[in-house]
Amino acid sequence: MGGFILRLIVGIVLALVIGPILVVIIASFSSAEALSFPPPGLSFRWFIEFFRIEEMRNAFVLSIVLAVAAACGSAIIGLLGAVYVSRHRNAFSTLLQVLIMAPLVFPALILGLALLLLYKTVNMGVLPGLFIAHIVVCLPYSFRSILTSLQSFDTTLEEAGQSLGAGPVRSFRLITLPIIWPGVLSGWLFAFVVSFGELNTALFLTGPGVVTLPIEIFSYLQFQGNQLVVAAASSLQVLVILFVLVAAERLVGAKQLVQR
Amino acid sequence: MRTTLSPKSLAWAVALPPLVILCLFFVVPLGYLLFISFMSNSATSLYDLQPTLANYTDIFSDSFYWLIIQRTLLSTATVLVLCLLLGYPVAFYAAHLSPRGRLIMLMIMMVPLMVSNVVRAYGWVAILGRSGVLSSTLKGAGLIARPVQYLYSFEAVTLGLLTILLPFMVISLTNSLATIDKRYTEAAHSLGAGPWRTFLRVTLPLSSPGVASGLMLVTFLALSAYVSIALLGGPRYKLLVSMVFDSVSTFRWPRAAALSFVLLLIALIIAVVIQVVIRPQRVQGKG
Repeated sequence: MGGFILRLIVGIVLALVIGPILVVIIASFSSAEALSFPPPGLSFRWFIEFFRIEEMRNAFVLSIVLAVAAACGSAIIGLLGAVYVSRHRNAFSTLLQVLIMAPLVFPALILGLALLLLYKTVNMGVLPGLFIAHIVVCLPYSFRSILTSLQSFDTTLEEAGQSLGAGPVRSFRLITLPIIWPGVLSGWLFAFVVSFGELNTALFLTGPGVVTLPIEIFSYLQFQGNQLVVAAASSLQVLVILFVLVAAERLVGAKQLVQR
Repeated sequence: MRTTLSPKSLAWAVALPPLVILCLFFVVPLGYLLFISFMSNSATSLYDLQPTLANYTDIFSDSFYWLIIQRTLLSTATVLVLCLLLGYPVAFYAAHLSPRGRLIMLMIMMVPLMVSNVVRAYGWVAILGRSGVLSSTLKGAGLIARPVQYLYSFEAVTLGLLTILLPFMVISLTNSLATIDKRYTEAAHSLGAGPWRTFLRVTLPLSSPGVASGLMLVTFLALSAYVSIALLGGPRYKLLVSMVFDSVSTFRWPRAAALSFVLLLIALIIAVVIQVVIRPQRVQGKG
């Protein structure tokens, strides 16, 4: 009896969490003019329509490029931060860790507003401004992944390298980096995924001609109404994420991805 | 060529880039935002260099803002309670699966988190809207005569926020429940406690750090989920974060800044309440 209720709740939660995403994917393959359930037939027409609309296409490309760049940036900076934090136990190391992790819980919309006001004051360009915002937002994810793998790394290996005459940078590059590589890679992938879906910070930081896919979807929903091309755009968002996750699972394993 | 660096300067070279980025693009802008929240509104520039408390006193003396704040508190509290009530059983179930089963369950919870919130909110628009799944199904079954709009209400916003944030709660709770030493519950059983008593007196208190961190994460994310609130609440059902956005779109920057800090203050108060009620420090640092 208790087991049945437990399983029922698990079923309800899975349906509530996954259901809306499935509905979007099904709707995007509809052959109908407008949203209707069940769809009268299946087609790719809305995906073709998506790539025909210039703003949608541009937003998609920008989101991919931005996600790759932001993931690289936050992986490098996250690696530097993680190296320091994993090897020093002092007040500064705690402060650095708190600072790097803060954007994870800090209300993103407020960070977006604060950055917008700063950018307006110093005349920052839209694209570099968006790029930096994405790095800050993605940093906690790449940092945490890399820190976890550094903490389980046996530093005596590096000491061995140094006693054999390699400098600290050289021994890090030749010994530590190859060993913690799965952590760095999963940190990169996390950052990519977070940047690709980033919404609340980007809301204020996009500009004319510089719009990311989630923001394009949002403004379409707000101003053009509920069209199925939005479903196709959303579907593409999900498909890219699924592709990255499957690749990640192949490259570093599922365990590396869910460990926190 | 080989450059020799002292360990100390090397450590600085490593710590400096993240420190500089976060100071310049996290700490400084927030400080600047706080500064602007105490300046006068200006029609031509970002703000007028005239210190004032009016941005805050205006918010707290306006009954409309009080209504919005009450509404925000009500919907956040509802989301928190439902997140805990629905998330805990799922985490409990996941924590008692085999390591492989638990991994699969965590992956299923992770994938939706990776999908952009605008897509997940759109999913609810497609379900709850006038021509959506729910309305057409009910109409097809003859339960309603003509299509019904289920969006733009307290229920729609709460349901949307709940489902978007549930995975955070489940993951936090599962990790916390999975690390509880089985010997504690076995000891309770062998001392004669039934399953419910064991759960209430042993498992639940030991999982309190996971409960607290999950609830805090959900609070912060629920309060700032502007896009989900805008899509599901529409122009009729606004929360505090919508007011921040509205002030920005009318270029009242100091007002937007002050509203942001009111929002942060509310988040902080809720976080303190969670810490006081759940008291996770009881078990922190022990297995």
